[in-house]
Amino acid sequence: MRIDSIMLVHADNLTKRYGAFTALDGCSLEVAQGEIFGLLGPNGAGKTTFLRTLLGFIRPTAGRATVAGFDCATESLRVREQTAYLPGEARLFRRMNGHGVLDFFADLRPTCSRGDATRIADRLGLDCSRQVARMSTGMRQKLALAVVLATDAKLVILDEPTANLDPTARAEVLDLVLEARAAGRTVIFSSHVLSEVEATCDRVVILRAGRLVHEQSIHDLRRSHRITARLAGPFAGVPESLAGRVSVAGHDGGRVVLEAAESLAPLLGWLATLPVEEMQVEPVGLGAVYDRFHRNGFSQLPK
Amino acid sequence: MLFNTAIWKRTWGDQRVLVLSLAALWAAFPWIYISLSAQIQMSAFQDVLLRAIPQEWQKLSGVPFAEVATHTGRVALAFIDPVVVLAATVWGITRGSDAVSGQLERGTMEMVLAAPVGRVAVFVTQALATTLAALVLAGVLLLGVATAIAFGPWAGQVDPVRFVPAAANVFGLMVCMAGITACVSAADSHRWRTIGILCGFYVFSILAKLVGRMSESLGWVGYLSVFNAYEPQRLVFGGVESWQLLARYDGVLLGLGLAAYVLGAVIFARRDLPAPL
Repeated sequence: MRIDSIMLVHADNLTKRYGAFTALDGCSLEVAQGEIFGLLGPNGAGKTTFLRTLLGFIRPTAGRATVAGFDCATESLRVREQTAYLPGEARLFRRMNGHGVLDFFADLRPTCSRGDATRIADRLGLDCSRQVARMSTGMRQKLALAVVLATDAKLVILDEPTANLDPTARAEVLDLVLEARAAGRTVIFSSHVLSEVEATCDRVVILRAGRLVHEQSIHDLRRSHRITARLAGPFAGVPESLAGRVSVAGHDGGRVVLEAAESLAPLLGWLATLPVEEMQVEPVGLGAVYDRFHRNGFSQLPK
Repeated sequence: MLFNTAIWKRTWGDQRVLVLSLAALWAAFPWIYISLSAQIQMSAFQDVLLRAIPQEWQKLSGVPFAEVATHTGRVALAFIDPVVVLAATVWGITRGSDAVSGQLERGTMEMVLAAPVGRVAVFVTQALATTLAALVLAGVLLLGVATAIAFGPWAGQVDPVRFVPAAANVFGLMVCMAGITACVSAADSHRWRTIGILCGFYVFSILAKLVGRMSESLGWVGYLSVFNAYEPQRLVFGGVESWQLLARYDGVLLGLGLAAYVLGAVIFARRDLPAPL
């Protein structure tokens, strides 16, 4: 997939401190127009702080961010004209019914299509005649999604969009995200569900304690493999000629874990020379990358 | 743009029940009040009362007791009855606290401000809707008084037009309380706390006025109370003086309310918005 090189979102050293606590620490990143950009990290990593800083809900302590060339702190209204945002906890007006909510947000945002909102709500299986107060959490989430995805905003920011949704609705949401990209829109997708991020995103960044610790292309990730082998004899290490293609991720007695960033073909000859009793080859997966930064300490996946 | 139609419609939807409830209360109250008052023949024991009630206590009424004892004066006391004063205060605190902290606490502010609408537009539109509704309610109260006089036991004995300044003073109080509450709300994130602060302010104001009235040496304390500018019972005796006094009183109340709204708008425009819990 070809990603347009025009950058829609720029964040330069974005920092947010609350007294002694640093919620976002020198975060610098760019999001290209037309890509689906994933934001990963545990609770408290700074994902929502970053997104809310983009929208002007929070003023940065230092640094700057722009969306479509508009400064997020001083031109927030212009930024929000370009942006549709689904908060992590979308709260709607309890006394209104679904139709009332869709009408209200269509009035609030002239570029929001009331017809599209109804179609998306129907697609997600939502009964809009029900009052919001009588909707389940999942139904309210669907209603909020219908509000957000019915706009033609250049940038769509989705914070935990599939939270509280049933599997069918989750699949529909992911399809809607892919359709948004196909229509030329840019999506920032923040989620804890790694499989969904991996299935939809073009690039992801991982935040930890307010810092951006890793950036990963999903295309490159899909080419990466993990080789877990139990050896009958000693492991002599990776030969010099293959040092750039494969790295040792772990070595524990007779068990060795290797990671290859590119095609496996050049490695097969060398692997055949190892005293292997048992071998398993699998795609690396986003989970393994994520675990490096949040379970096993820091380690760089070969790029 | 300082005005948003969608926010305007929604604000009226939010305040509809309260407006209708207060309108019903203020339409009915003058009838009940006047019919009960008419059953007390003041002339029979007016002199006794005037001699028996200490001078210091008579200061609390704001006007000479001899005037309070007239039909006009007794109707004027309806405007300082708790049904009116408390309801006006409740209006101001309820609507003002919903301006920002109420919506932040409910979490709905996030979705609203995710749309391309300015924070000041949200704040100003809500303030305009609250103020217009206050005007309508003050009008309902005046209409209630006028019809209760015209069709009640004192028909022909009291001029309803004399109560226009009093109703305007009620309007001033409502705007003042709503503005001050909205200002506190703009800086706060919890509606319950905003309401608590304003309830404290209300009690302080009542006490400050009492102290200012009762004590010569502490008379200045009265100026710390917004209720020092709320004395509808002094505005009903006709003439230019009533209107001049109204201009002073409502000048203070509306001026305070407007200043508080402006400050609130500035605070809201600049603050960080907390994520919904």
